[in-house]
Amino acid sequence: MPPRDNPLTRRSFLSLVLKGSLAGSALIGLGMLVRYLNFQSEESAPSQFDLGPASDFPLGSRLPVPQAQAVVLHTDQGFSAYSLVCPHLGCLVNLTSEGFACPCHGSRFLPDGSVRNGPASSPLTALRIDENADQHLILYLH
Amino acid sequence: MRRHLLLVSLLLLAIAGLALWRQSRLPRAIAITPTLTGQVEYCLTCHADLPEISQSHPVQTFGCVLCHGGEPLALDADLAHSTLRGGSNPSDLSVVEASCGGEKCHSGTPQVFRDHIQRVTTSVQATYAGAIAQVRYAFGAQPDLTARMGIYAIDGLTAFDPVQEISPAIQAFGLNCLFCHLSAQPMPSQEYDRWGGCAACHSPAPSRDDTTVHKLTTALPYTQCNKCHNRGNYSLADVQFHPRPDAPVDRLHDYYQPIAEFTRCEWTLDCADCHTRQEAMGDGHIYNNKKEIQYIRCRTCHGTLNSLPLTTTVSDPNDLALRMAFLDPVIDLKVGDTILVTDKGEPLWNIRVMPGIGNATPTYELFSKAAGQRFTFRPVMGSACQQDPDQQEARYCHECHATQR
Repeated sequence: MPPRDNPLTRRSFLSLVLKGSLAGSALIGLGMLVRYLNFQSEESAPSQFDLGPASDFPLGSRLPVPQAQAVVLHTDQGFSAYSLVCPHLGCLVNLTSEGFACPCHGSRFLPDGSVRNGPASSPLTALRIDENADQHLILYLH
Repeated sequence: MRRHLLLVSLLLLAIAGLALWRQSRLPRAIAITPTLTGQVEYCLTCHADLPEISQSHPVQTFGCVLCHGGEPLALDADLAHSTLRGGSNPSDLSVVEASCGGEKCHSGTPQVFRDHIQRVTTSVQATYAGAIAQVRYAFGAQPDLTARMGIYAIDGLTAFDPVQEISPAIQAFGLNCLFCHLSAQPMPSQEYDRWGGCAACHSPAPSRDDTTVHKLTTALPYTQCNKCHNRGNYSLADVQFHPRPDAPVDRLHDYYQPIAEFTRCEWTLDCADCHTRQEAMGDGHIYNNKKEIQYIRCRTCHGTLNSLPLTTTVSDPNDLALRMAFLDPVIDLKVGDTILVTDKGEPLWNIRVMPGIGNATPTYELFSKAAGQRFTFRPVMGSACQQDPDQQEARYCHECHATQR
């Protein structure tokens, strides 16, 4: 049989396998390293929220801010805000016509956040809320 | 040398490939940060399809790990489950304090009977102290029927150990008859299937076809109680449990054993519609037997010839009755409503006095806790019943009111 023009010898084949497997391993390892280095841990919750123009919260309103788990009240005394997290065990309270009600264990709160009935023994947490220079309301959770 | 290099490179490629394959098999992680713990957990990665266990325990507030234990950050099922409390049942009495306890949860405070764990662990359903005392007395191991031993040592009871007993009958009792207390594995047949601990009553029985329901409830149907009760008889003659031989096909015959007498309300209602929390879960004290803690009588709801049943008007928004009605909203109970109350002051929150006219005999409405069905009934007073007020055990009422089967 005549020799072929470009024969793949055993030596060159094994060399090719060696290089290929090393390159493959390196690529996989590199990919996993990149993935590891790019890992994003869970984002911590923001501690303040720009709620937009104060005019969006008209006098007499009581509007929930779901992303902040809070409620903003606008009364004659100005703006105030309460956390909607029940001080009993941490469920989110609902707004009712009489104030707030916890769907988990039945605590109810008056519109000013004070306890109407337990099992909660402390009022809803009052939050700081300010109006900035742009007349936006800024809500602070801590 | 070159051959070794080739083998090492192939091995390296295999390891890298295996690592890549394992990575690709991991599910996309789903994280929650429960309000109560503030710690990330990944349990929902595999368990996102589970329904909320109850309205009072939303997963966004409690998460899973607070009650179940486990490894919150693990994505491998075996690792995640390696430190579960109580296996599938965190309410198992051996771990219940860690799972369900705490001042704000079910350890509570004794002043308002909210220390559920202390009450349950000392109850006759958990200690089995009554049955143990009866059997030890019957076979001469103790001089009277006073409870001295329990399934475990607690509050003056020592742990019952059948091996230490001299009487072969008591040893046989230990082998053949300890399937119904709250720490026991139930008998193998499907009709006995139930969880242990709190879940024995408050969770549907585990399913044998992998469709177990993730649920906690206070709305208990009689079928839940019948996992232990009404299943047969224990015999002191051969110290064995003898399952009932009949196969009831309806509620009437399912509820009681054939020889028992009972009135309509006893089989129409669920056990929990009349029997109270203290009867079922104890009141924190050791009792010698079931009869000592079970105190509801016909007269509790129906009164006697010369007295109406006891009532109380709900005046405090924090009243226990309102809390119970909140947990099982079969009745729109509110401040100002008058409800029945037991001799011990336990509110029968699901039984309300209906508004009457003048001095007319009152009518009561009862809402069954599991089905929410409404029943009305009237007291003995003013009826044709002439039963002696001093003879109020059920057997006297059964003389006239027993249902025929």
